[in-house]
Amino acid sequence: VSGDRIGSELQAFLESGVSVLVGTRDRLLVPEGARGFGLRVLAEGAELEVFVPEAWGERTFANLADNGRVAVSVAQPEDHRSVQVKGSMLEIRAGGEPERAAIDRYREALIAKFSVIGFPPSLFHRLNVWPCRVVRLRVEALFEQTPGPRAGVPLAGEGAAR
Amino acid sequence: MTLRLEELLPCFQGVTPSILATCGRDGEPNVTYVSQLFYVDAKHLALSCQFFNKTRRNLGENPHATAVVHDPRDFRAWRIQLRYLRSETSGPLFDTMAARIQVIASHTGMAGVFRLLSADVCEVVAIEPVEHLLLPEPLAFAARSDELPDGPLTELRGLQCVTERIARAPNLERLIEVALSALDEIFGFTHSMLFVPEGTECRLVALGSHGYGESGAGGEIPIGEGLVGTVAASRRMMRLAGLSGELRYGRAIREQFVRSSGGAILRPELPLPGLADAQAALALPLLAGDELVGVLAVESRDPLAFDEWDEAFLQIVGNQIATAIERLQEDEETPAPAAAPAAAAPSPVATKAAARRRFVYYRNDDCIFVDGDYLIRNVPAKILWKLLNQHRAAGQREFSNRELRLDPTLGLPAYKDNLESRLILLRRRLEAKCPEVRLVPVRRGRFALELATEIELEERATA
Repeated sequence: VSGDRIGSELQAFLESGVSVLVGTRDRLLVPEGARGFGLRVLAEGAELEVFVPEAWGERTFANLADNGRVAVSVAQPEDHRSVQVKGSMLEIRAGGEPERAAIDRYREALIAKFSVIGFPPSLFHRLNVWPCRVVRLRVEALFEQTPGPRAGVPLAGEGAAR
Repeated sequence: MTLRLEELLPCFQGVTPSILATCGRDGEPNVTYVSQLFYVDAKHLALSCQFFNKTRRNLGENPHATAVVHDPRDFRAWRIQLRYLRSETSGPLFDTMAARIQVIASHTGMAGVFRLLSADVCEVVAIEPVEHLLLPEPLAFAARSDELPDGPLTELRGLQCVTERIARAPNLERLIEVALSALDEIFGFTHSMLFVPEGTECRLVALGSHGYGESGAGGEIPIGEGLVGTVAASRRMMRLAGLSGELRYGRAIREQFVRSSGGAILRPELPLPGLADAQAALALPLLAGDELVGVLAVESRDPLAFDEWDEAFLQIVGNQIATAIERLQEDEETPAPAAAPAAAAPSPVATKAAARRRFVYYRNDDCIFVDGDYLIRNVPAKILWKLLNQHRAAGQREFSNRELRLDPTLGLPAYKDNLESRLILLRRRLEAKCPEVRLVPVRRGRFALELATEIELEERATA
């Protein structure tokens, strides 16, 4: 797979405190969906790291160990702007202090975004997000996922930079 | 399955989005938010398909799906393993889901553009809690259960009380007042409105409201548009929770339509009736036999204000209101004792009445303005114009419903003319815009025109 890259505008959007979902599947193609808690773009947009809390990531980690296929969806609560990244896992490791700091920053960004639509900050403080694992993946394709007729259309040329 | 789907009903109200993961035949996973999963029965959920997107294609290739749903009250989560069974494109489930989408579509100006393609029915294979999602701290959210009325006896007594008041209402106007205020007093429905079909036109008009400050009478909604109009068209009860979320979702789709169609013209967004910041709404059709006699709507600022209990309860009360409306429309001309003294009480605004009011009737669209402000239109406007003119020409003070029915210029249909509703609407609009002119019931089927001001009448062809 030659792979799409994440352009700078899209990178800013992905790292702005939008909600993160991680999709995987097992050997029998039974899918799993789990919340991620923050992400960062690496290697000039060719790679992505997503933080998945240990507390609810067990099945996600098992699926990744089995086959490495992964989908990461991000969505902005106030206008539903959504993008999905498809890729393959390069590495999984335990989160360290840098990730812990990133998670705290992400929590503050989430609170700011979600309070606009009526979610109480206390919810985000109660989420059991630490410890987490860091899933690094190679970006292979980018898709528009905002609800509507364009959902599922490849993002090449818009958010993506080849 | 140890957990029952019924225990998770709050998760399917559409307040907190659910996560849905699917996987294609090629092994590519897909994960997305879905704004709502529909509870079908104890073993089935349905997904709404508005676009043939990746999720839908994946389900066709590989029936396995996993949903993560949240209880909107405390954010606890459950993982539900699903197996896609079939897509329904007609039938009761499809109709119910389509009507909900129609509400959002019409509010966001996308009626006919944004619609349900299919109800994708999935079997529930397993349910398990997502453990350790939340840290063990005291619940940050108040559970709602303590706000519910206590026990069945209380509900039964309350119902009895509402029933009695509805049955005793002497006329349609009182019926609406007592029914809406009893719903608030006894069961806490603080904001409610009652709409009736307006003549032969495909519109509904608000005949009464409770909890909104001003009367709201005269507000119109086309049948088929918005929550109330959709309920009238589909004749199905509908409950919406997390309204602001659903409308945001609708607006996102609207944006996408505009972008993908090069700015195609969509209709402007409709204002919601009633509360500007309503978070939950429930509306039900009032049916007498096969006939739609009205729509009852309640609203709340609490996204979880209404549940299955409210639906069941309002259905019972709604049936009684519908029967009473039918009865009061039918027997309004039978002789009855003189109206209650309250009806003849002097108007509280009489002391500060304007000395002179000027009415202008525009023939091209049958509407009346009073001192430059819109008052009323269509049949009620024609009725008022007739009354004012006969008063001026012949000094007539008292009128009968019968003489209105026999006047062909008013355009009342021969059967089911809803004359009583039209007179109520006229009375309410006068109270709001011109309290110096009153229509006071004398006895059933007769009323008096009372003027506490000089009036000036002018007729124009167009504005």
